[in-house]
Amino acid sequence: MTIDFGIVLGFKAALLQGLLMTLKLTLVCVLLGCVLGFVVSLARGSRNWLVRGVSRGYVEFFRGTPVIVQLFWIFFCLPLVLGVELSNFTSAVIALTLYMGAITSETFRASLKSVGREQLDACIALGLPRWTQITSVILPQAVIRAVPTLLSNCVSLFKESALVSAVGMADLMFIGQNISNNTARPIEVLTIVAVIYFVIAFPLTRAVSHVERRVLAKLAA
Amino acid sequence: MDYTFDFHAIGQNMGPLIDGLVMTIQLTIAANLVGVTLGFVIALLALSRWAAVRTPVMLFVEFFRCTPAIVQIIWIFYCVPILFDVYFDSLTMGVIALGLNLAAFNAEAYRAAIQTVPREQLDAGIALGLSPIQRIAYIVLPVAVRASVPVLITNGIGSFQQSALVALVGVQDLMYAGKFLATETYRPIETFTVIALIYLAVSFPVSQLVEYLERRRGAASH
Repeated sequence: MTIDFGIVLGFKAALLQGLLMTLKLTLVCVLLGCVLGFVVSLARGSRNWLVRGVSRGYVEFFRGTPVIVQLFWIFFCLPLVLGVELSNFTSAVIALTLYMGAITSETFRASLKSVGREQLDACIALGLPRWTQITSVILPQAVIRAVPTLLSNCVSLFKESALVSAVGMADLMFIGQNISNNTARPIEVLTIVAVIYFVIAFPLTRAVSHVERRVLAKLAA
Repeated sequence: MDYTFDFHAIGQNMGPLIDGLVMTIQLTIAANLVGVTLGFVIALLALSRWAAVRTPVMLFVEFFRCTPAIVQIIWIFYCVPILFDVYFDSLTMGVIALGLNLAAFNAEAYRAAIQTVPREQLDAGIALGLSPIQRIAYIVLPVAVRASVPVLITNGIGSFQQSALVALVGVQDLMYAGKFLATETYRPIETFTVIALIYLAVSFPVSQLVEYLERRRGAASH
């Protein structure tokens, strides 16, 4: 059999549409997931044992189960539980945001911990009010330390977003698989799909190492 | 909400779920054997002096790390038989796909660990007249493996969770059994909840073990 990548060009528009869906989904879930993750990371340090327990259970559950199982659960079970119809996009956003929230909360938690105890002591010695301690001392340092890991969380989410194809959402993977089945040209089509994912994710992982070096340099200074 | 829970149907069908879990665990163990050994070889090759060796190996690693696992699995299931004219059963294909993915991630863990082996130790190896193979076996390997154990276990849990993806290409693992049971019994909530809890029950203790190992290491290095 001859391999002819030209065949994929005929489906440029469809693949582009799929890619846009993938990017849109990733972007929405990154934003929502980071906010959720930050709130959860604060909740895990709460003084109230109930808040602490619930947030820990949430994080362990979403980190301890396959994302595909989470997606299936939310696609097939959540509408039954809530008794409302959810669009594919809404379900996908809920599922991936919950996943992203769980992994970013660990990132924020680790970076909050890395802000030294003496910083807080200094705040107290200076008589800063509690709110200023958090917004002007702890938060900026925590965020800067979290940035490289957050970026690699984003890359993970971008890759995991391909799973929504399994529940019938028309993302890049879904459209690629459809074209591959209809043209019986899996080698050309699936390879191009893989290359598209690679072309986006690879520079991002490079950016992670770049940012990591800069953050380390800045912290050392 | 007017849904009445009924776990009875699941209780009666535990057999297929357990068969599925056994398949999932077999897949995970086989993929980890491939990932732990091949990953080390890849890490050594990625640190090679010759660019002709280093570049293709690095490309392999980056490709597996920067594309979705589901794309890799579907690519391997559809394209490998056509390209190489070989036909394996679906379990073998699943092990190949998950094993290669894991090997790429483990290679990075080993590479980071190998780079922490102090230069002087290797110099000492040369001074003692050890051959390159002996230096790898007696100096690099023990240090690198010990330093990378937590990451290797974390990646191992990752591959356990990722193994659920092979259900999409027809391997009869836990996820496959769950999907089948959900449609068969019309009990998606109960089925998928039980499936999720089974996955959690396996990966949670292992991730706790990693945390324990890391805490102990953190304490030891102070």
